[in-house]
Amino acid sequence: MTPRGMTQAAFFVLTALVDQPRHGYGIVQVVDELSEGHVQLRIGTLYGVLDRLAADGLIELDREEVQQGRLRRYYRLTDAGGAALSAEAQRMAAGARAATERIAAHRPSAAGPAPGGGSVRRPGLAGGTA
Amino acid sequence: MTTLLEQRYRTVLRLLPSYYRAEREEEMVEAYLHGIDERNRDELRPAWGEVASIAALAVRTRMGAAGAPARYATLGAVVRLFALLSVLLQAASGLTGQALFLAWVRGAPAKDREMVLMGFTGHGAPAGLYEVVRWLLPLAWTVAYLALLRDHRRTAFAFAALAALPGLASVTQHLGGGQDTLVVSFSLTAAAFSWLTVLALCCGFHRDAPPARLPLSSPGLVLMGTCVLMGASTVVWPGDADPEWAGGAAFIAAAAGWLIARFRSPQHTRDPALPLALAALGLAVLVERTLGLAFLADAHAPGSLLTAGAVQAGVIAALAAALTTTGTRGLTARWRTG
Repeated sequence: MTPRGMTQAAFFVLTALVDQPRHGYGIVQVVDELSEGHVQLRIGTLYGVLDRLAADGLIELDREEVQQGRLRRYYRLTDAGGAALSAEAQRMAAGARAATERIAAHRPSAAGPAPGGGSVRRPGLAGGTA
Repeated sequence: MTTLLEQRYRTVLRLLPSYYRAEREEEMVEAYLHGIDERNRDELRPAWGEVASIAALAVRTRMGAAGAPARYATLGAVVRLFALLSVLLQAASGLTGQALFLAWVRGAPAKDREMVLMGFTGHGAPAGLYEVVRWLLPLAWTVAYLALLRDHRRTAFAFAALAALPGLASVTQHLGGGQDTLVVSFSLTAAAFSWLTVLALCCGFHRDAPPARLPLSSPGLVLMGTCVLMGASTVVWPGDADPEWAGGAAFIAAAAGWLIARFRSPQHTRDPALPLALAALGLAVLVERTLGLAFLADAHAPGSLLTAGAVQAGVIAALAAALTTTGTRGLTARWRTG
């Protein structure tokens, strides 16, 4: 992957290819399902992402088929693509875990100040236990 | 049988360069039509979002995206270098102009200083605030320049667009104010130069593009050097320096520097992108210089001012032509060797 990191679209495209090779429309459909409709890839966007992932060696052409006179290309995840996706998923999971723990620690509680929240207000910081 | 929707989609795909269409068109048509009911294909049109995504892909594939042929890779490099050099020139111009203005205000007679201040405070608070913002906005080019060289592309783009706003405001003001053609042309050219820079930034520094790199030394030193050069060129000939003088001087120094380097070390200056980007910048500077000259002639400016401006325009034109020739030769040689 480029030093600029992985976009959300690239992340979902790689995820869509984990179980089996897919063609363009198949990827669009699976990304839509995986993201619960939040990421709806346009065809121009999809092929920009596919070009980038192929150039970075994260996906490769699996096979070509002709359906009703039109070309259908299937793409598969490479080992490097699987490793990059796994690393990104771990990074995102660690971020989500940290955010969840922090939210839980600072949630207002009827039983008094949250653990670790303390009651001391430091100058220049808003909030306290809020 | 080809449906109307397919025809329409293929028309949209014509935005893409031919090398890309040859590789991808059939596959993209298949992906696009796959989920659409065949019975509706004669009544539908591609949505604007689809068209926009193809347009963005068309720009990206022409600006040296992954797998692009050499000519598009070079075009992308030229556009990025033009954007970088143009942002640098406008950042230095903004800094130098405001610094010289402040120095002048500080040393000006009390009456003149009061007149200048009246421009900011004499028409009420909202108008004063507008003038202050308009005075400060050109400094946003400096933020854009530093952000670009730190690879913060969105910040660079946002600040460049902000910095280009006063040019647009001038055009609107002059068009609405019934000014003569020369004044309107002058402000239109300045605004076009700024917005061309913003466009080059936006198109050239797409997500797949490599980060901006200056061909010479560190960003701060280059900016400072350009400011010193522009400031000095204005101060040395205070009588002959019009607003376009400093920009012309900076271009002449950069172009002459590159041509000398080319003469002394041809092996290290083979890449055609830099001379072509400099030539494009030279053309923009020349148009501004020429219109500025026409403006001075119309205002019956002193002969020495007109002569200095005309000589500078001639030098800029000659250097831009030399850069274009050298760059084109380098480009031809590169395409020949693949």
